Amino acid sequence: MKATGFSSQLMLKIEDLFLKRGSFVLGKLSFEVPKHSYFVILGKTGSGKTMLLESIAGIQSAEGSIYFDGVDMSKVAVQKRNFGFVYQDFILFPNMSVEKNIRYSARYRDIKDSEALFEDIVQFLRIEDILHRDIKHLSGGEKQRVAIARAIFSRPKLLLLDEPLSAVDPTFRNSIMKSLKDIVKRYDMTIIHVTHNFREASFLADRVGVLLDGKMQQVGPTYEVLNKPKNIEVAKFLGFKNIFPTTILGFDQHNRYFSVDPNKITFGEKTREGVYCFACEIENILGISDHYKVFAKVGEDTFFCKVHKSAFEGKELKDGDKTNIYIEKKDVAFI
Amino acid sequence: MMIKDRGFLLIFAFLGSILVLFLMMPLIKLFVSVGFLDIFTTMQDKEVYESIFLTLKSSFYAVLFVCITGIPLAYLIARYDFWGKSLLESMLDIPVMVPHTAAGIALLVAFSNGYFDFIDTTTGIVSAMMFLSAPFLINGAKEGFKKVDTKYEHVARTLGASPMGAFFSIVLPNARNDIINGALMMWSRGLGEFGAVVIIAYHPMVAPVLIYDRFNNFGLKYSAPVATDMILVSVCLFLAVRFVNNRLR
Repeated sequence: MKATGFSSQLMLKIEDLFLKRGSFVLGKLSFEVPKHSYFVILGKTGSGKTMLLESIAGIQSAEGSIYFDGVDMSKVAVQKRNFGFVYQDFILFPNMSVEKNIRYSARYRDIKDSEALFEDIVQFLRIEDILHRDIKHLSGGEKQRVAIARAIFSRPKLLLLDEPLSAVDPTFRNSIMKSLKDIVKRYDMTIIHVTHNFREASFLADRVGVLLDGKMQQVGPTYEVLNKPKNIEVAKFLGFKNIFPTTILGFDQHNRYFSVDPNKITFGEKTREGVYCFACEIENILGISDHYKVFAKVGEDTFFCKVHKSAFEGKELKDGDKTNIYIEKKDVAFI
Repeated sequence: MMIKDRGFLLIFAFLGSILVLFLMMPLIKLFVSVGFLDIFTTMQDKEVYESIFLTLKSSFYAVLFVCITGIPLAYLIARYDFWGKSLLESMLDIPVMVPHTAAGIALLVAFSNGYFDFIDTTTGIVSAMMFLSAPFLINGAKEGFKKVDTKYEHVARTLGASPMGAFFSIVLPNARNDIINGALMMWSRGLGEFGAVVIIAYHPMVAPVLIYDRFNNFGLKYSAPVATDMILVSVCLFLAVRFVNNRLR
């Protein structure tokens, strides 16, 4: 293990991580995770999220470097890295009770103040009543809490969570999310959590990375990544609507795009100054409870707009009508 | 259960019972015709109980050896892809397919070279039993290991276990039922081994050889009680192991 120049605030530094399995290629990935942060990696199913976590844990062998607290961990055996891992399908040991599952790491590691830690974890994750149960008789939420407890009890410096909430009943999801958020400070660790769920990311993450097709497209503070996508792939993945080339706004730059929130587009007969105003033809109007979904064709492009029903009163717009759409300049997000 | 299922169930139960009857009839008939007294007195015959003990012991040694060598092999086959894996798996199944006397001849050719005390020894008997019944344990263990998700080992490793620690604490206990079933199959298959054993070691006599010897020299009347005793002991031990395994589950 060799030490390298490393900021005291950085805990994990991935450099040129590369992994090929069959036709799937992960990398080369480089990113950093600060100490005591909650880092969420967002990505679609099959984008390589689990493979990335397993590479960090040492379960999958990958090229590149993984520095942890300044030490190169690339060649360090899984059991010596001290990275906790929680899989989405819990992976509780079937031959052990809940308590033995949680205490498993004590067989191999000297856990400091293990009894106090055990009591604290059990209380924190509310698993006192199920300690002696067989794991076969636990609900999804209970299994997930036990899996998290088992990982925390091993006193990892870095906790890797692979879609930890996807197999949990929505009723318990909020309480587990709250517990996850508290873990960082309470147990002095850093968390990397992979998911495809934006809500989890926006609630939990200090920083977010977007992993698509094996490539890390964007890494940054949560608000920035979720609201200012760096490229069109990230924007599409994050569910941004109305992504068009900036040339239709009159800019010269090619290969640049903008997006506009469907709720921010308004309609009117007259042309207006100080806003982006486009003549359009109504392609389709769908009435949804309190609002209309309107598809307005501007040249070759179709804008998707959500208009409150009250805003359409008296306008009597219907399919095929010609009118104008307005977009405030402040509502344009450049990609 | 719906009433209209009854006809379907009756047909299947009838067909199944024909086979059960066919399999049970010889055993029941044997026990009935020999009688309790003969079963008991034959069991006190030194030659008989020594032969049965030798059979049980030899087959147990064969199982023990394959547990030590075959379980790691089964794990490697279940967990890893490597060059020649299919060929290796086919080769391991060959003993099940070859005639047992041919297997005995092959073992003689291979091992009666002066380095091993092989002919007419317990070592020879154990080798013959092992050669023909090892695939039952190896295949049982292999299937057991395949059922244990590799993620269990991964998690155990992240919790501090070495590969060996994860194997003994997680993989082996969770594949236990298949391994024990495989071991029981191998052991019982070894108990009945005749063709290969008789080529390598007529003496000391294992139970199947003793049954054959008595049948050949003295007829059915003298061989049937030995056969009954052997079946009785095997079934009792078989049930005992199953019972203990189920209690431990």
